[in-house]
Amino acid sequence: MREEDERYFKRLESQLEEAFDVAETAKERGADPEPEVEIPTARDMADRVENILGIDGVAERVRELEGEMSREEAALELAKDFAEGRVGDYETKAGKVEGAVRTAVALLTEGVVAAPIEGIDKVEILENDDGTEFVNVYYAGPIRSAGGTAQALSVLVADYTRALVGIDQYKARDEEIERYAEEIALYDKETGLQYTPKDKETKFIAEHMPIMLDGEATGDEEVSGFRDLERVDTNSARGGMCLVLAEGIALKAPKIQRYTRNLEEVDWPWLQDLIDGTYYDDAGDEEAADEGDGDDDGEEEDADADDEASEPDEPEGPPRVDESKKFLRDLIAGRPVFSHPCAEGGFRLRYGRARNHGFATAGVHPAAMHLVDDFLATGTQIKTERPGKAAGVVPVDSIEGPTVKLANGDVRRIDDPEEATEIRNGVEKILDLGEYLVNYGEFVENNHPLAPASYTYEWWVQDLEAAGTDVQALEDDPRIDLEFPDPEEALEWATEHDAPLHPEYTYLWHDLSVAAFCDLADAVAEGRIEGDGDGSVNGNGDDSILVLEYADDVADALETIVLEHRQRPGDDRIEIDDWRPFVRSVGCEPRRAVADGAALEPEVDDESDGEPAVELERTWSEDDLSERARTWGQEDGDNAVEAVNEVAPFEVRERAPTRIGNRMGRPEKSERRDLSPPVHTLFPIGEAGGAQRNVADAAKHAETMSDTPGVVELQVGRQRCPNCETETFKNRCPDCNERTEPDYRCPDCDRALEPDDAGRVECDRCEIEGTCVETREIDVNEEYRSALESVGERENAFEILKGVKGLSSTNKIPEPIEKGILRAKHDVSAFKDGTVRYDMTDLPVTSVRASELDVDVGQLQALGYEEDIHGEPLTHEDQLVELKVQDIVLSDGAAEHMMQTADFIDDLLEQYYGLEPFYELEDRQDLVGELVFGMAPHTSAATVGRVIGFTSAAVGYAHPYFHAAKRRNCDGDEDCVMLLMDGLLNFSISFLPDKRGGRMDAPLVMSSRIDPSEIDDEAHNMDIVSQYPREFYEATREQADPEEVDIQIGEDTLGTDGEYTGFEHTHDTTDIAMGPDLSAYKTLGSMMEKMDAQLELSRKLEAVDETDVAERVIEYHFLPDLIGNLRAFSRQETRCLDCGEKFRRMPLTGDCRECGGRVNLTVHQGSVNKYMQTAIQVAEEYDCRPYTKQRLEVLEKSLESIFENDKNKQSGIEDFM
Amino acid sequence: MPLEASARIVSELTSRGYNAEREAVTRLAAADHTDAALERVLEELPEDALVVRTEHVEAALSALESPASRSAADAATETADPSVSTGTPEPTAGESVDASPVETEGSSTGAGRSVDPELRSLEIVGDMTGESTGTGEYEDFVSVFRDRLDKLGAKLRGRVNHRPATAIEDMPGGSEVAMVGLVNDVRSTASGHWLIELEDATGTFPWLVMKDRDYVDLVDELLCDEALAMEGTLADDSGIAFVDSMYFPDVPRTYEPSTADRHVQAALISDVHVGSEEFMAEAWNGFADWLHTEEAQHVEYLLIAGDMVEGVGVYPDQDEELEIVDIYEQYEAFNEHLKKVPGDIEIVMIPGNHDAVRLAEPQPGFDEELREIMSAHDPRIVSNPSTVTLEGVSVLMYHGVSLDEVIAELPEEKASYDDPHRAMYQLLKKRHVAPQFGGHTRLAPEEEDYLVIDEVPDIFHTGHVHKLGFGKYHNVLAINSGCWQAQTDFQKSVNIDPDAGYAPIVDLDTLDVTVQKFS
Repeated sequence: MREEDERYFKRLESQLEEAFDVAETAKERGADPEPEVEIPTARDMADRVENILGIDGVAERVRELEGEMSREEAALELAKDFAEGRVGDYETKAGKVEGAVRTAVALLTEGVVAAPIEGIDKVEILENDDGTEFVNVYYAGPIRSAGGTAQALSVLVADYTRALVGIDQYKARDEEIERYAEEIALYDKETGLQYTPKDKETKFIAEHMPIMLDGEATGDEEVSGFRDLERVDTNSARGGMCLVLAEGIALKAPKIQRYTRNLEEVDWPWLQDLIDGTYYDDAGDEEAADEGDGDDDGEEEDADADDEASEPDEPEGPPRVDESKKFLRDLIAGRPVFSHPCAEGGFRLRYGRARNHGFATAGVHPAAMHLVDDFLATGTQIKTERPGKAAGVVPVDSIEGPTVKLANGDVRRIDDPEEATEIRNGVEKILDLGEYLVNYGEFVENNHPLAPASYTYEWWVQDLEAAGTDVQALEDDPRIDLEFPDPEEALEWATEHDAPLHPEYTYLWHDLSVAAFCDLADAVAEGRIEGDGDGSVNGNGDDSILVLEYADDVADALETIVLEHRQRPGDDRIEIDDWRPFVRSVGCEPRRAVADGAALEPEVDDESDGEPAVELERTWSEDDLSERARTWGQEDGDNAVEAVNEVAPFEVRERAPTRIGNRMGRPEKSERRDLSPPVHTLFPIGEAGGAQRNVADAAKHAETMSDTPGVVELQVGRQRCPNCETETFKNRCPDCNERTEPDYRCPDCDRALEPDDAGRVECDRCEIEGTCVETREIDVNEEYRSALESVGERENAFEILKGVKGLSSTNKIPEPIEKGILRAKHDVSAFKDGTVRYDMTDLPVTSVRASELDVDVGQLQALGYEEDIHGEPLTHEDQLVELKVQDIVLSDGAAEHMMQTADFIDDLLEQYYGLEPFYELEDRQDLVGELVFGMAPHTSAATVGRVIGFTSAAVGYAHPYFHAAKRRNCDGDEDCVMLLMDGLLNFSISFLPDKRGGRMDAPLVMSSRIDPSEIDDEAHNMDIVSQYPREFYEATREQADPEEVDIQIGEDTLGTDGEYTGFEHTHDTTDIAMGPDLSAYKTLGSMMEKMDAQLELSRKLEAVDETDVAERVIEYHFLPDLIGNLRAFSRQETRCLDCGEKFRRMPLTGDCRECGGRVNLTVHQGSVNKYMQTAIQVAEEYDCRPYTKQRLEVLEKSLESIFENDKNKQSGIEDFM
Repeated sequence: MPLEASARIVSELTSRGYNAEREAVTRLAAADHTDAALERVLEELPEDALVVRTEHVEAALSALESPASRSAADAATETADPSVSTGTPEPTAGESVDASPVETEGSSTGAGRSVDPELRSLEIVGDMTGESTGTGEYEDFVSVFRDRLDKLGAKLRGRVNHRPATAIEDMPGGSEVAMVGLVNDVRSTASGHWLIELEDATGTFPWLVMKDRDYVDLVDELLCDEALAMEGTLADDSGIAFVDSMYFPDVPRTYEPSTADRHVQAALISDVHVGSEEFMAEAWNGFADWLHTEEAQHVEYLLIAGDMVEGVGVYPDQDEELEIVDIYEQYEAFNEHLKKVPGDIEIVMIPGNHDAVRLAEPQPGFDEELREIMSAHDPRIVSNPSTVTLEGVSVLMYHGVSLDEVIAELPEEKASYDDPHRAMYQLLKKRHVAPQFGGHTRLAPEEEDYLVIDEVPDIFHTGHVHKLGFGKYHNVLAINSGCWQAQTDFQKSVNIDPDAGYAPIVDLDTLDVTVQKFS
């Protein structure tokens, strides 16, 4: 580690310690569940693993093994330790296996996620039919957060430990095998799997699995075939098991195989068959049948396989990727499609990493974001065709913007977001969405073959250099803009140097058919050069433009190749400004109209009378084209690029061979996290607070006239004062202020119990668990008043103070109301663990400017930023500095919320704990430099971060490694920040719900510094260079494996001094917040408005087939909604409007059985048919298939039949005529 | 095809008054189509025989094989031209019977079908088509359940000295009490007893069935929302009653079914699924051809218990498995298939869950547009469920969606896909075709509960589960007809092997069943 990095971490840690000391002092004074801070600091992964598992000795062993072997190997090594009793204190074989499996999962997930504790329920030993014993591992839903590899490895570790402790293999019964297949299909249908193995594959796995995979039911739907099996407890789908089998074993077989090979004790020879897909041992015809009706996965695999196999034989053609429609699945209303798979006019793939780019992100030009009617904003998730499945959108303005056709006939490329908003209303068609920046690392991470690259400046300039040109000299020439040259410069370079035509003037010839190209050349030859008289030079060196006679096919061709021009059908003209490279590309030569016809560069002098001085001559005829050029393309002759190359005097590359389809996924997020309904204090008030859970109401509530107002019967934990034996529910004795202890009793024999070393409370006489929870009367009024008094606040300090109905934690310890009063005062609310949180979509950024963060250079310097990315001293707001790994950028909303939280914390310290305020923030600039916790859902470890600035984008920008440390990627994932002191003071494990998943999303441990080797390795695949080599671009044409290309990625610097720095980028962007601040999805009101906008946009986009969109919206959104609601209607529950009691079936009395109140339906006609008319209208308007229309028709009739009285039909006016 | 083999054959034979040789039974059990073979044996048995011998079986089996191949051959030639059958002149149109419509070109009367329209009679009860008055309000739901309790309660109230739920609460502990109500909840207690909550128009009351009582087995059969009567003893605090006996509305053991006055038969089929790639056109044609033969001369009625067509949008991506994607074309095709049936056969049909009517039950009969399409035979199209009375024999037709639930909820020995008729027995016992609300079965609230089996039918006819099974429950003949759709991918994936291409034929004068196989 470099010294400056060490300094940075030391600084964070000392700041953390300072806060820790304050918090510890406070905790000692207060009446919190524990008198100390409950989030232990973990120095490294080993610490985290041990803290999360609670198994002593693991950390030490992990550290021993760490240097010697990979983490996976260490997991297996630890399994041995568990089996042989060196680690963990387990007496039973099942316990040993369980310990080993949990540790393996914890280790492979870097001790961050909750999967090891929440995702593995238990391990038990069962008996095979032949009397031998086998291991059964019970998985639960949260195993999801472990990811496929860890899931798969957990099975291997279980098997390995099983072998070591001497238990036999699991021998699945036939019906169990069949059950696995049915269940996985069911789970996929109900919840969806990333990868769904075919039935055969599932059965094959189930048959060979050496341990039994089991788990708890996660869904309501039940299997219909293989029910009530003796060794399977449930008829519902077991989600955890399904994940492990499908996304673990089936998907990650090659990874497991790597480890089984090295282990003598376990033998999984079937993995090879699984990988090869050779498990169809019975019949060939079935395999054929399978291929025939295979799902998309299958087709894609087949297609891939075909591709590889037949590549050499195939006739030569342009390299293209295959279409994948997967991203269009489950399209929903209001989230538009931007481009159909590989569709012309869609986003063009450009390679590169912008500074706000990283893993699972996609760079889009901000002008495009505006032009797609603001549906894309910074952080909006898009579901994409490739290379991954989804990505977070980041604004990058150093790539090409979209090209649009305006109502006035202008076809313009829009490279300026402001211009985009100005012309937006006049856009008739979006001909091209512009470029779409994806970094090399994305392809590595997704193991996706490189897709053919667009011909872009980065590539061209290397071609130019390779052609022997002194690029440096050109770059240094102040008169030359190498990236955006004038047309004549571009022509000159193309003809003088042996390099292809500059990409700026390379048009999308490959989208034009050879026939259309020939026609276009004809039209150009007929064209004339005019001075348009506006005096503009348009880069032609003179005031000339090319004028073509207007014809629809010419206009179409120009739109197809995305050339800027003006269509004036009224004047029978099409005008093209930058005409020279274009004219040469279609094989025409400008000639002076002189008798000898010598080719001359036209010299239009201003004095000339405007007479056409220049004629264009077509230098070739169709017959001159070679067979190859004429038939070039995916389909015969649909790609004119070879023809262009034959007729043009220079080389022309394919400008954009890869288009990437995508659609909108989730909108970006930047919102405070409130429970629903929001909670200020985790103090129970039962039903007394009404639907609002208002503590003040509860304090006045009385069931009957004879009851004392405010006295409510509640379930709370019983505490006892060790000093004076007073019984209370508080953490401090109301009499002597001594800290109290939970008073456990046996529910059967009422004996007082003491927790054992492991914290378990069991009555050894009755052999049942003891508890301290009891139902007692609590005077909420008294508690409320005294709390107000103790913090010195009056009731008018806040609008409402909301409590909870009941506590869901094991010991039901209530939070002091005082905290809630102060939260209410500052309008912040508590999460289930007592902390105040703010959610933001994650986006990465590696370099920042002070100017875009709303901070000044001085503030950055104060945080230890001294140099910009070029090593120059930091003096100016516009200089780029490299972001330090734990520094984060808050969205405006987050900053605001953190300010409120800070005020709450200061009041809490002063008024409740009796200490000095900690933050004392005047304005948000004071937040810069403060520490926060970053914490992702499904994880159990918080990561310490430091606020460095603010952005108007509704996202949380941070270093990619920071996100990876929380185990998030940036494909639309979101997570939260908490103010450091809030977490330290208010978090308590005692508040966490006592149920599956209760310990997820709670900071059970915090990491004070990020070790790049211990983060989600996805981030290691991010490339960190400033330029991709020419070989890379050429390799993309071969669709090479990304690993074959040498570009430095994060992984390469791990463990070196440079692991925290040197994250270079290939593309800059003006500001990390550009484009709309919020996606239109969030600003539009109703679902209908959103859908109208979605369909409207689909009409505008060249790359989108609006009928398909309408069809999909109906198919995936309206129909399921209608069908689902109709089904729900006819088997619905009912609910009492007064007390909220639910009834499975309508009570025969008609009234509520609990309170006599009015009962009503939970699903009404209105919610069933809300989309009916819209769906029918959309189907009609967008010309959907008869099948779709008929489905709607049948449904409409069903609705009528149910909701209309046959004898009292709404009659039309004709009935009265 | 229910295949309990030998035991069933023996009981079938004894029920008809025959003894059998062991070898004969074994041969029968081993036959391809036990039921058909058995029928054939009985048919061909000499009048004076008392014991079924091996030679009888062998003779019958060999006879069975030749006609089968014959009908297959016929099917091949006859599909092209449906008018091949011997053309007797069309019968004169009777008053109670509509004339065979002109559209059924050529499909004239089968050989020797003695059609005397005067002898036929066909009445429909409980058809709610055009009577759907519910508008989906909460009150509609309440009244439908009240109607259920009223109708079924009437069958129970005479048997016990019942009290309303609220009155029971006020009775002194230890009293003998009884109550009639709908099952509101069934759950087991920590100590393994069962707590059953009964609900009547006044409220609910909990009844405890002790785990060691005889009645405990019945708890397994209970479905929510069925009507029950319970008798027992109030606990000391009057908060709960201990069950001594339980009564179901049930079919009286002594029930005497009505029969027709002449030898006339009805074919009971369902689940044709025209439009599906798996629709078995050949089997269907075989069936239609057979109806033209002399053997089928007594078949004068054809009942179809739903799922005429495969439908659209019944499950996701169904269009990929449809041979006919257009729903109207599906019905047109169905109509074409119907035309092959002799024109003088009376047809009654009800919709099923694949048909283009509402899914919620009761399902009204098809709308005008679809009736128009299926006009070939001028079939009687009525709601699901409906009761059709054929010459005095009442047939309750119900598509059978609730069977899935009965089979799922009840223990396998009481209801399974292999014995669908046993699941039907449960419905007869509960006197309701779809008791449980809120599960798989969908309910459309109407002012009365059309799903109650108010009058005991003589025959109970369902389909839906694609399995053939029949048997008698308290003398009521329960028949689940198979289907005309070969195993689908979905069925394969959930381990259902359908009985496709069978037509159970009921003698309306004896209520005996013969099964014809056409696949």
